[in-house]
Amino acid sequence: MRRGLTDRIGDPTLRSLTTLASLAAVALLVLIVYKVFDQAGEAFSHFGLSFVWESEWNPVTKQFGAADFLYGTAVTTFAAILIAAPMSIAIALFLTELAPRQIRRPVGVLVELLAAIPSVVLGLWGIIVLSPVLLKTIEPALKSALGWIPLFSGEASPVGLLPAILILTIMAVPIISAVTREVFETVPGDLKEGALALGATRWEMVKMVVLPYSRTGIVGATILGLGRALGEAIAVTMVIGHTEHISANLFGPADTAASRIASEYLGATSSLQISSLAYLAAILLVLALVVNMIARLIVRRAHPKIPTTPGILR
Amino acid sequence: MKTRKIGALASAALLMLGVAACGSSSKEKGSESSGASSGSKTLVGAGSTLVAPLITGDWIPEYQEKAKVAVTYGPIGSGGGIAQITARTVDFGASDAPLTEDEFKEAKGVVQIPWALAATDVAYNVEGVGNELKLTGPLLAEIYEGKITTWNDSKIAALNPGVKLPAEKITPVYRSDGSGDTFAFTNFLSHVSPQWASKIGHSTTVSFPVGIGGKGNSGVGADITNTKGSIGYIAIAYVLANKFDYALVENAAKKFPVPGIPSIEAAAKTLKSIPANNEATIVDPPASAPEAYPISTFTYALVPLKSPKADLLKPFLKWAVTTGQEFGPKLDFAPLPPEIVAADEATIGKIES
Repeated sequence: MRRGLTDRIGDPTLRSLTTLASLAAVALLVLIVYKVFDQAGEAFSHFGLSFVWESEWNPVTKQFGAADFLYGTAVTTFAAILIAAPMSIAIALFLTELAPRQIRRPVGVLVELLAAIPSVVLGLWGIIVLSPVLLKTIEPALKSALGWIPLFSGEASPVGLLPAILILTIMAVPIISAVTREVFETVPGDLKEGALALGATRWEMVKMVVLPYSRTGIVGATILGLGRALGEAIAVTMVIGHTEHISANLFGPADTAASRIASEYLGATSSLQISSLAYLAAILLVLALVVNMIARLIVRRAHPKIPTTPGILR
Repeated sequence: MKTRKIGALASAALLMLGVAACGSSSKEKGSESSGASSGSKTLVGAGSTLVAPLITGDWIPEYQEKAKVAVTYGPIGSGGGIAQITARTVDFGASDAPLTEDEFKEAKGVVQIPWALAATDVAYNVEGVGNELKLTGPLLAEIYEGKITTWNDSKIAALNPGVKLPAEKITPVYRSDGSGDTFAFTNFLSHVSPQWASKIGHSTTVSFPVGIGGKGNSGVGADITNTKGSIGYIAIAYVLANKFDYALVENAAKKFPVPGIPSIEAAAKTLKSIPANNEATIVDPPASAPEAYPISTFTYALVPLKSPKADLLKPFLKWAVTTGQEFGPKLDFAPLPPEIVAADEATIGKIES
């Protein structure tokens, strides 16, 4: 049978176009990494590795060090995960084990929709709604109850670590809960029914079957959430308050690596400053790539069938 | 099997071509500007965000109408503007801070032309104090250094007899992004406080020892609104639009002029001579001008002395520093003083292709 012209060129065209698209994406990643490191060259030759632990950041004297921002990134990310992980596990448990069938889907979709809120909108919400509430109600209350802990001893402030942590929590929850939920769904029904048949309560079943079976998956999901929180710039910039001075106080202003790049790049006046921001970007890039790869590896190894990006981002 | 190989090879080849093309074109740009488009009547600029509303809102449409030259401007920030004009990827750059000696050297043959004049206000949110609290430069420096921490400090009270100042903590607010407002404000503080000049200095971003940062004028505005006891520097247009309480800042004549176009113009009038590099500073103007507002700054166009677009660039710049100034006041830019315009025109005259 003779094939038409379109039939004959269809396959090769499809193949080359799709190959081209995929290669372009790979090339893009490589070029981005190359460019960031290339830009960081000047700062690297100027400050060397000490950039990582030096904390002075002063565009006037052209002294640049990343320590404060890496500290800010670490604190906001880990604190956000500390809140987000248990919350997400609870959500996932509720949606897979406890919720009535009819509401599982709608609630699950709504939780995942949280991830669809543009981060700049969350940042705006942070400034307009969250900040005043923290400043007037929550921070004074925390201070009077837990003021003996240095973390909660500072003056209440509208911007600072706490609002940034809460915003990052909101961003991490949909990711962690979506992946965790899929992990929970892979727990074989036989095991669960077996546990129940042996007389276990629902809590005992969760404790003895679901959680142990899903442990690695939960860890992977959490690290994925961590990766999300690590690189968030714009929403954090809007609420964190931008300072170069580390303090243990959760209420006070701070800064993260991502937010520093976002806020300072446009106004940077010296090539060394721009290069230092690129150095910061390079550190962040490596961290984010490593964290993401580790998370993917863990989830994939434990639960090969689970996609590692939650529904809405899939 | 065969087709797969050929397809892959073909696409790989295409990709390499594409990459090679990108690579070479960006290199060419470096050496001979956007030479390819020099035939068409377009000018491309990038840089300062402070001056962007004036350029994109008024200058570009007006000038296009009048001279039939298309101008595009990317408000990518002062640093970006300097980098792009140094690489000659744009026809003109724009920066809120004058170029440093090193930057001049690196940019090889770029001149700066002051082309807009903007002022920065000091706004605050203190209950029961009312508008127009009186402050001095050294006092502002001490507030932003964290030395004066409460509103009822004796130094503030001494300046404002009859005003009931609360025992509230002062929260200084600053810009977290690099900005011409930060440059103007810290330049002023450096002028009036040796302590500030040596410890902190002035730039579009500095390391503030205390306080909280807000992103953009709107971020600073939100922080001021949200925080009782806050004080912040913010573009004058913003203060008026949001009806913030603003401070009267003492000038060298020990007077407290109301910030606004007339007092900025009074400050600009004190300019006597302009250095060869056109770096003009009118913060803290001399005591001979009792009406002069002390915190204002020029923002600059950066252009190469040798430009393939000289025949388009020169008329545009000349128009901007003369007729273009008429559009400034509604955006709270003060018109350039005649001395600056004269210096600008002399510099523009030196541009050649």
